[in-house]
Order: sequence, then structure tokens, then C-alpha cells
Amino acid sequence: MVLKVNDQGIIETGNWCSITPVRGVEKLAVGKTPEQVPKIASRVCGICPIAHNLAATEAMEASIKCEIPKDALMLRHILQLANRCHSIALHDILILPDLYLPGTETKINPFTAEEPVRTVAKRIQRLREISQTIGQIAAGDCIHPRNTRVGGMYRNVSEQAKTKMYDLAKEALPLAKAQMDLMIAILRNYQAREHVDVGGMKVALPKTLGYHNQGYLATHAFYGASSLDECPSWDIRRFKEVRPWDWYMGEMEVSLEEPRYPIGGTTKMGTKVNPQMEACTGIPMYDGQPVEVGPRARLAVYKGYDEKGTVGQNIAREMEYTDCFYEMIDCLDELNPAGKVVADYIPDGDGSLGWASNEAPRGTDVHITRVKDWKVQYFSMLVPTTWNFATCSAALQGAPWQLAEVIMRGYDPCVSCATHMIVVDEDNKVIAQKLIQ
Amino acid sequence: MLYSEIVIAGCGNPLFADDGFGPAVIEEMQNLQLPDNVSITDAGLGGPHFIFTLLDPEVTKKLIIVDIADFGAEPGSITKLRVEDLPPGAYRDAHSWDLTEPLQRIKDQIEVTIIGVQPARVTAPEFELGLSDELQRAIPKTIRVILETIGVENEFSREYLRKEERQRSSTAETCGCPETR
Repeated sequence: MVLKVNDQGIIETGNWCSITPVRGVEKLAVGKTPEQVPKIASRVCGICPIAHNLAATEAMEASIKCEIPKDALMLRHILQLANRCHSIALHDILILPDLYLPGTETKINPFTAEEPVRTVAKRIQRLREISQTIGQIAAGDCIHPRNTRVGGMYRNVSEQAKTKMYDLAKEALPLAKAQMDLMIAILRNYQAREHVDVGGMKVALPKTLGYHNQGYLATHAFYGASSLDECPSWDIRRFKEVRPWDWYMGEMEVSLEEPRYPIGGTTKMGTKVNPQMEACTGIPMYDGQPVEVGPRARLAVYKGYDEKGTVGQNIAREMEYTDCFYEMIDCLDELNPAGKVVADYIPDGDGSLGWASNEAPRGTDVHITRVKDWKVQYFSMLVPTTWNFATCSAALQGAPWQLAEVIMRGYDPCVSCATHMIVVDEDNKVIAQKLIQ
Repeated sequence: MLYSEIVIAGCGNPLFADDGFGPAVIEEMQNLQLPDNVSITDAGLGGPHFIFTLLDPEVTKKLIIVDIADFGAEPGSITKLRVEDLPPGAYRDAHSWDLTEPLQRIKDQIEVTIIGVQPARVTAPEFELGLSDELQRAIPKTIRVILETIGVENEFSREYLRKEERQRSSTAETCGCPETR
């Protein structure tokens, strides 16, 4: 994140981009079977395998024009909703350290053993556990689903498994309601503050924190859409992608440094930055403009939600908690464990362009493909945070630079990241280091 | 409960050649008959988000992580590492959980063993499917080490692994999948 700020420390230009090297999943997919590509797609990210698996599987089905049985669709819906509920709970842990215990000057440490935070943390953990368990029952595995396949699902669930999911969803509903109410109260308390503390700096909190005038894009209130739909909610002709160097700032030198900024201070003065050249993603546009995707976009497009800014965005995410569990219960009511879950006929594909979107926790995840003779000829992934990079960059304008990350966290970004494993000897000397992603 | 008394997690990314070793081991273990108190999971890159931060020490007593580790040995060599062998990570936000930080937090309540296998080639950031021959051959041996570590060694597993070791092909792709139509 590179910020150009004025003398008062207010952001004039925000540049938030991914510098993860382009790794060419689209190229890797060409020539593979439609069964392999969703498995490949689900490996590009550690947090969103389910959204990518579902979007890629359904893009394949859209290209070969295969409609799946209703019960298979219900299982996919349940899996996707469970994944979203887990993600909302994870996001609560992400943003709580920015927020205050109402009525105090104490920021919230979600890991503390002290009350009242401990009870909240336990509730978050239970919601995560329930969501993952439901996902595991519906999809065979809650991280990389084994039950999904082109043409439906490998197997339906038993009557007992359906009852178990139902019981879990009913247990989660009041917990989700309580968690939503609490988070909204904490967010409203934050919004009402005049100042907030960032690394010992007293920062004025603008009432327009995170506001932008870009549009919203969502393809379904809960699940997603595809080119097989009678009235598709996404139009590929309204989409185009521009080069990052047309959008971001060119080479600059860091001229403001703040060692107090958590954790470990900002980038050192004199460091050369060049977001224009370092950005590794294109800028997707819908109707010629970057758009916001995610929970607020879903609520704005489908439910008339109109609160702008970072707090409005976080509240929209919390409001999805209970909606998801109600929807999950509706899907379970619809699910017939005796119903078939694989299409009778799965065509080989004639090379038609097909796309499918999945409303992932972070927003619209669109996969586009062409399948001919059971081989993938073309594949492309438009992942949610790619949509949000440019929109969030616009939302940073007008905010104190110290709050830039608070705005960014509102988008619950998922930027591919790498983990290093380091092996040390008894003297703590590094003897081996390897990128293990 | 989501996770049982003994949890075996295969970590890594099959898109980076030998980095897919952990998931490949789990895929192979799905053919074994394991006790009810053992759960196996293909953690992919999501171990910190989906497993290590969700384990309940009241239920889970043992966590086995299978991953590649560069310890300077011949490719396919196996080593056991403790959490103490890994450097403490730093929590910055919920998306920056690295492999070690949640492990440092749970290691006093859950016995954590990392089974590291020396890779031959990790292609990150370039994508490449498929394990090297050395790591393909190391799968049955790694499973035996895992079974010994958790104290499970039944005749069925032994027979299966012996057969696997004999038949193991060096050309299989880890992201491959059976023809399902």
C-alpha cells in the first residue's frame, strides 16, 4: 500500500495493489480436464478454496451446458453458506483489534483470557467450528471439498447427516444473532468516537471513513450465477480489464516515516516505490469503472442497503451472519437425501464460452472457461479482491493515513501470501529456509 | 466434534511440485482403515486458518503435520521436527497467520509433531503439477512414520503400504483425479 498524503497527513492518492507474482493458473489449466481445473483453481489460495472450487466447477458446467440436479445444488449452497459463516467469524478476529470495548479506552485483544472478551472469543470459535463441521458433512472435507464434481456432487448425504447439519445450524442461529448484535454495537461505538489511537498517535476519526463513489457488483444475494441462467446477473460484455500502470502512481521515494506505527513502523524514508510497475494484477472494471464486491455490495444490490464507509461495510458483513444460517436452514428443508445428485448426461463441451460466479465471502468470484471435447481450452479467474483493489484505493482518499489499514481490512482482503519455514539448529542459527507457501 | 483426538494434517500446495507432498500423503491415507479417534485432513495452505486455530485441547491431544522441510538431506529423507525447531511468528492480522504462530500457542496443550520431508524441487512462484520421483517413493515410508508416531500399525495398513511401495508409479500427478463420467 503506497499513500500520497498532504501536510495534514490526509490521503490524497491511495495505491493498494498486489505484488504477488503472476503465476499463470490460467495457462496451467489449458489442456487439463474439466475435473482437474477446479482442483487446481482451489489451490491458488489458502482461505478461499471452496469459492474457487465451486466457481470453477460451475464455469465448466456452464461451458458444457450441464444442468445439475436440485439436491446437488442444495448441497453446494449449504457448503458455500457454511464457508461464508466461518469467514465472517474469522473477520471478526481480524477487525476486533481496531475497535474499542464500549465505554472504555481499551482496544480489544481477541486472544485475551479476560472477560468479557473471552466469552466473545469462545462464541466466535463455536461459530467457526459449526460452520466447518457443516461444510465437512456437505462436502466431505471442509477445506478442499472432495464431494463436488462436474455434473453435481459425488454423493448425497444421509438422513442422519441432514439432521446433524440442521441441528448445528439451529444451534448457530442464536449465536450468530448475538455475535452480530455485539459487533454492530462495537462498530457503532467506534463510529461515534472523535479520535482513535494508532500506535500512541491520537488520530481524528472522519465521519466519512472509507467512503467512495464507485458502484457495487453482486450476482446473487447468497450464492452466485452462471451463463446458463435464464437472466444472468452478470454480463461479460460490461466487463473489461485495464493495465495496472494506467491506474497506479509511478516511481516515488518514501518521504514520511513513522516508527510508532504498529507493528515495527512504516517503510523507511528513502525507499523507492513504484506501484505502477510492481502491481501484478489487472484492474477489472464493470461499466467502465472499478466496483466494490462483497457483503455490502450484496446487500446494496439485493436488499437496498445504503450505508457507505468502512463501518457500513463491516456492519453489512455482520448482517450476513443470520441471513446465511436462515438460508442454510431453508436449503436443508429443500434437501432430499434420497434425491439424485449427478446429472444424467454430462456433455463433453463444444468450446462455448461459459462463466460462473460465486458470491464468496469477499465478493463476486467469476470464473470463465471454454471446454471442448472434455479438455479446457481457456480459463480465467476474476477473484474478489482483484475487483476491490482499485475501489479500496479510491476509498482511501480523504482519510488520515494512520487509518488506511482499517479501511483496507473492511474489504477483508485475500491477497495471496507466502509463508516461510525456517529450520534452526540448537544455537538458533538458521540452517535451512524454504518457501513452502 | 470437527477434529478428533489425533489430527493428521497434510500441508502444502500441489501447484508447486514437491510442495504438494503433504496433501498427496493425505490422499493416500484415505485408502487406509484408521481408528475413529484419528482424523486426516488435506490442509492445503489453510492449516493456520482452518485447523491449528480451531483445535480444542479438551478433544485433540495430538497433532501431526506433514510438510516438506529443507534440512539439507537427500530428497525424500524424512525428519521429525518439534514446534521449538520453528521460529515464533508474529500475529499482525487474521490473514497473516503463518504456519508457526498458532502452533506456538497450542504446543503446550497439544502434542505437535511435524514430519518434514526433504523436497527435490519446489517451483514457487512458478506452477508445476506432480511430485518428483523421490517424493513419490517417500509417500509409503512417510505414512509408516505417521502410523508409528500415533501408535497405529495394523496388518491391513502394513499390507497396503507394502503393495503401494511396490506399485508406486513415478509419473502420477497429485492434482489428477479419476475419470468420473
